[in-house]
Amino acid sequence: MYPFEGLFSLLVLSMVLETQALTPTHHLTTTDVARLQAVLSQPFTDLKSAYYSVVGLSKLGILVADADETCQFIKSNLDPSSVESLFYAAEASQALSGCEIPVSNDTRDLLLATVSEDSTASQIHQSVSALSSLGLPLASQEVVSALKARISKEDNVLTIILALQTASRLSQQAELGDILEEIEDLAARLDDLSGVYLQFEEGLETTALFVSAAYALSDHVDMEPPLKEDQVIQLVNSIFSKKSWDSLSEAFSVASAAESLSNNRFHVPVIVSAQGPAAISHSQPFLRLQVTDVLCQPLSSASVLVESASTSSSKSAILSQAPFTLRDEVFELNFMASQPASGYYQFSVAIAGDSRFVANHVELKVKVSTRVAINNMDLSVVDKDQSTGPKTTRVEYPTKAKAPFMADSHQNFAMAFQLVDETTGVELTPHQTFVRLHNQKTGQEVVFVAEPDSKNLYKFELDTTERKTEFDSISGTYALYLMMGDATLENPILWNVADVVLKFLDEEAPSTIQAKTLYTPKPEIQHLFREPEKKPPTVVSNAFTALVLSPFLLLLILWVKLGANISNFTLSPSTFLFHIGHAAMLGLMYVYWTHLNMFQTMKYLAIIGSLTFLAGNRMLAQKAVKRYTYTQKARLTAHKAGPQTKKLSKEPLAPISKNLFFLGATE
Amino acid sequence: MLLPFQRGPFRGRTSVSLTLISRFVEEYRSSTPNKLKVIDAYLLYILLTGVFQFLYCVLVGTFPFNSFLSGFIACVGSFILAVCLRIQINPQNKRDFLTVSPERAFADFLFAHTVLHLVVVNFVG
Repeated sequence: MYPFEGLFSLLVLSMVLETQALTPTHHLTTTDVARLQAVLSQPFTDLKSAYYSVVGLSKLGILVADADETCQFIKSNLDPSSVESLFYAAEASQALSGCEIPVSNDTRDLLLATVSEDSTASQIHQSVSALSSLGLPLASQEVVSALKARISKEDNVLTIILALQTASRLSQQAELGDILEEIEDLAARLDDLSGVYLQFEEGLETTALFVSAAYALSDHVDMEPPLKEDQVIQLVNSIFSKKSWDSLSEAFSVASAAESLSNNRFHVPVIVSAQGPAAISHSQPFLRLQVTDVLCQPLSSASVLVESASTSSSKSAILSQAPFTLRDEVFELNFMASQPASGYYQFSVAIAGDSRFVANHVELKVKVSTRVAINNMDLSVVDKDQSTGPKTTRVEYPTKAKAPFMADSHQNFAMAFQLVDETTGVELTPHQTFVRLHNQKTGQEVVFVAEPDSKNLYKFELDTTERKTEFDSISGTYALYLMMGDATLENPILWNVADVVLKFLDEEAPSTIQAKTLYTPKPEIQHLFREPEKKPPTVVSNAFTALVLSPFLLLLILWVKLGANISNFTLSPSTFLFHIGHAAMLGLMYVYWTHLNMFQTMKYLAIIGSLTFLAGNRMLAQKAVKRYTYTQKARLTAHKAGPQTKKLSKEPLAPISKNLFFLGATE
Repeated sequence: MLLPFQRGPFRGRTSVSLTLISRFVEEYRSSTPNKLKVIDAYLLYILLTGVFQFLYCVLVGTFPFNSFLSGFIACVGSFILAVCLRIQINPQNKRDFLTVSPERAFADFLFAHTVLHLVVVNFVG
């Protein structure tokens, strides 16, 4: 809603940190007032918008163009059975001249009946305002008690504001003291934002309505509202910081707040702004100030006085208690009459003339500019070894020296000049004093700074051997320019003083300066993807694959030769299961290689493996039993046969081992 | 005095090694049980496979290096496991492996091979 964060830093800078009062940082300019007027002048669609437009414009002091048509509109849209409708019609017709709303007894009774504790605050407000605008009698004390009861029931901000507005329409004899105290309570509920803004959390409209209600009531009872000057200024900042309004009601609230702040009996905030930039020069010696109220209406009754004007740096006062003269609603002062030196001045301005003025001490920063003149421009060529005296040529601005000057390894080129204020003759030291040497052929330019000595005399010396890196040792004719500028100078200077021929010792061939290729498109970088590694030709791979697989044939041949067989293959379910499981595991390995990942493989392997393990365990156990019983039998027979068969007992497995093989298929 | 054609105590080096080899082969043929010879044939097969893989790598290049490693390690691992099996089955070593029956050795061989297969297939890419 409020663009606080963006403006925060600006406001911190602009805040006056000393113990002086606040001055408004936000106010409506004439364009803003015109915009507000335009918003309120939009053609109205219903009675409510007619009320806002008509009454809003009347607060800005503008009469509606076609009063009769508006009056007709109001009368035709009036709904006599609705308090709200009556309120809008009554208030709008009051603002128009010669517009009378016909009132019947029923209407009056309806309005009077609404004044009770049971109606909402807005209903009470609307009925009381309607009664008052229509000129009907009302019982003020009843209203007061109803309002008090309402406030105690609903303690929100809008209720109290409406109560204040209502109270301002009652007779002055009624006891409005309690309601008047509510202003102070409400003011305490305002949020202070960084010392600059003061607003209700409900928003702009509520704050603006509060201001208009508080001043309406204070004026009515003729008692100063309990708002301090700083608070008033903070309220001004809050209400007038928004320059475009979302709704008609918001625009209306701003207009009524502006009106109450310009026209009340107690506090009138003063807006002081310089007309154009606050800059003075000989051509424009008057400092012009516009002193207005919040509606940009000039305060002609004011008298504006410069309390003190001092330079920003030295703080010595140039002026004291000098009055501004009013001319065409603008206050002006001839500051140049006091012959100030160029620079910045701090003005402390006081606006008197009305005890209601708030924020009537303003600090202004005023700039005094002047024209500069160059005196005693001496160009000379000095021998390094000081054998001969310098040859000095004086050049007058804006002419150029006729002959070019030479500077090489034996001679230096020197320049001396003085800068003075054209009118006063005071020596000046502008911010920017540059000496520029421009090579016409190559377009190269080198800039040096000329510095003043203690007597404010500017000197510049060019030593070719010292400065050859800046010049890239390119000899040739250089045009010498003097450049001068400052914020307080009205005539910045660019003066081609002379031509200087420079000769460097170790000269390089002058290369033409290329136009900056910094911002042209650079050559495109082609991304080189990683080259895939060179694969050997397929023939070679295939040959070696065959070679690697060939030992398998050899194995089979050897096994056949050795007589390996599967004659001991026992036919039992566990054997089958084991073989199938084992084959499945090998198949799983192949599938793992082609499709699966480790986790899936482990899962399947667990299942198949456990089956294979169980089957294999049983099968091997059977084999072991078989082998054991066989060896036992063999031993027994050998023992029975006697010692001559010892050989057999030593190696019982030798003949059996031919036949007893675990499996034909090993890995 | 020795005549030139008589066999003396000093013999040529090559003839010594030749005699050694022939005696070894003879001894191997006669005294090794057939079971072990089967396993030895298998070992030779594994060895040759490994050698040929290495030869390819040396001659042509290590392009799919992971595949080469996986294949080579498969050969080496299989060789080692088969050697273990051979040692455990050998009846002459029975005293060293009292708790391990030949069936148990074979079961261990199979289990170790399963793990080796898993690793090799994972790495072959």
